Amino acid sequence: MQDTKQDEFVELEAALESLRDEIRCRFPASSRRYGTRAGTPEATVETPGRGAVLVALAAELRERLATLGMREQSAVVDEFGMDEAALHRAGPVLDGLFDTWWRVAVHGLDRLPPTGGCLLAANRSGVVPYDGLMLSHAIARFEPSRTRPAFLVDDRVAGLPFVQPRLARLGGVRACTENTLRLLRAGRRVIAFPEGVRGATKLFRDRYRLQRFSRGGVVRLALETGLPLLPVGIVGAEEAHPVLFKAHRPARAVGLSYLPVTLTFPLLGPFGLVPLPTKWGIRIGEPLALDDLPPDAAQDDRLVSRLTEELRVRVQERVDRALGDRQSVWE
Amino acid sequence: MNGPGVIAVTGLRTHVGKRLVERLLGDGARRLIGLDRRRPYRLDERVTFRRIDLVAPTADAQIAALLEEERVEALVHCAFRSDPTPDTELDYELETIGSRNVMTACAAARVRRIVLASSTMVYGPRRDNPNFLTEDHPLRGHPDAHCVQNRVEVESDLQGWLRSHPDAEVTVLRPCWMLGPRHRDGGVRYLTLPVVPTVMGFDPLLQFVHEDDVIHAFERATLAPHPGVFNVVGRGVLPLSMALRLAGRRRVPLPTPLLYRASAAPARAQTGDAPAGFFDYLRYLWVDDGERGWEAFGEPSYSAKEAWISAVSALRMRHYA
Repeated sequence: MQDTKQDEFVELEAALESLRDEIRCRFPASSRRYGTRAGTPEATVETPGRGAVLVALAAELRERLATLGMREQSAVVDEFGMDEAALHRAGPVLDGLFDTWWRVAVHGLDRLPPTGGCLLAANRSGVVPYDGLMLSHAIARFEPSRTRPAFLVDDRVAGLPFVQPRLARLGGVRACTENTLRLLRAGRRVIAFPEGVRGATKLFRDRYRLQRFSRGGVVRLALETGLPLLPVGIVGAEEAHPVLFKAHRPARAVGLSYLPVTLTFPLLGPFGLVPLPTKWGIRIGEPLALDDLPPDAAQDDRLVSRLTEELRVRVQERVDRALGDRQSVWE
Repeated sequence: MNGPGVIAVTGLRTHVGKRLVERLLGDGARRLIGLDRRRPYRLDERVTFRRIDLVAPTADAQIAALLEEERVEALVHCAFRSDPTPDTELDYELETIGSRNVMTACAAARVRRIVLASSTMVYGPRRDNPNFLTEDHPLRGHPDAHCVQNRVEVESDLQGWLRSHPDAEVTVLRPCWMLGPRHRDGGVRYLTLPVVPTVMGFDPLLQFVHEDDVIHAFERATLAPHPGVFNVVGRGVLPLSMALRLAGRRRVPLPTPLLYRASAAPARAQTGDAPAGFFDYLRYLWVDDGERGWEAFGEPSYSAKEAWISAVSALRMRHYA
């Protein structure tokens, strides 16, 4: 019973559709753009009579009317969802954070390769990926003509409602091998945080002590693509949200794995989410020497883990240097 | 282009089936057999229509006999629902069992070239999807979308079938949400409602493909051997919010529990599924890497954004044309 009814409905739809087709056939000019594949040569009018001109004009008008208000909008994002317009709008806020709030001092920007992609491995600090945002902002300001580097965001943050879409518009990409490889092959510079989630969930008392690097994915990617890998130390982000301890039980109730308790959060409510105005320092190091290695080095697990450890030491070095640059947390 | 002389198309009344037949008729060099449960309205007289019910118990034998009698050389299988219906059991019979019948018949009638119409929805929307899913990504589907699950099952059936018929040239085409002036997939139809409730806090990147590009890919896959699996997608991505803004649709973000609870009844009435089976596709990423398809079938003529504009503008002009 229901089936026949449905069939009747489908039949009716088909009849309507063919009626529309009929109309389109009668007025070929009006379906000029949509009826044929773009790119196939169309029958050109050699000597346009008045009728043809009118038809063409009507078609043009129709096309304009149909897409009114759409073609003017510059709705474009890159394939990972980064939106230049959104970045432009966020520019003053980012500049404010960079220059006024955190007074970021950056060293070693000249060590970045002038062309092509590269991997930057930095220490991870804090739950909110301000560090990635600031580093990519520093590099973007240094070389405004090049595409902004993408910063990798770990799974836990990349899946968060409200946070995820905004991060994506600002150049954040979920950390996974496929994404990183695609970015690097496209010539983008990628900021990775090899500590992974462990780094983001560090307590205040463990600040600036690098955690074990997970699985050596960053080194493997650098070896596979043959692109330079630069260690980066970022200092200041850890004190912006000092996590005193992690509250597990109340967090489970709302579906998070833990709730970071900082000096101000959740004490001050949403105001507690405002990061503290610490003094930041970013130091970019010399790239790791990966050139004179055998071609199948990426498959050599022992070599990869040795290089990963070397990278960890180099990042720690940069962090310590950057810590030495500051007089205190605030200066 | 030469290619097979006799081509059978199942699901003649689906959009792809209908348009593909029209396209293949073009130069009149080949014979076309259309299969469906009912005769389509206004069928071109050059097409041989054969009534076949894929759900019938002896469908495989019927199709095999037909394929042998007509000496069919290639078969395009697109008898799939473009939208899920509340009758989930019929959908299962039609899509999964029906496809099995078609495969059995093809083996019996020694039809070597098969083109299967799948969808990129089979990858499933997941929080942990990479930004671009390649054809080799596991098909995880969505437990609450029965038509997607059917296609996942059909594809795995097909892989099994291929092991016992290694000389067959099977092409699986996975288009993403297809749209254009003449057709919009169910998901796209939802997005072109005047007011569109969406999942609050999520704004995934969407991918569209223009109907002409899909038909073009099917034509190429039918006429020349392209064994393998291909995503058929447009270039570029469009965030959900941007797409709706372009189309002038109002977006109403609702909190997940509210949206999923409020839409439970209408969703079940319309698709027979829980709402997660649809809304998760507007929540997580399921964008696909189309490189392999573009290489095989050529550059798409519409990007995702152009395809979206083409569909929306055609919809707008529907009142006047």
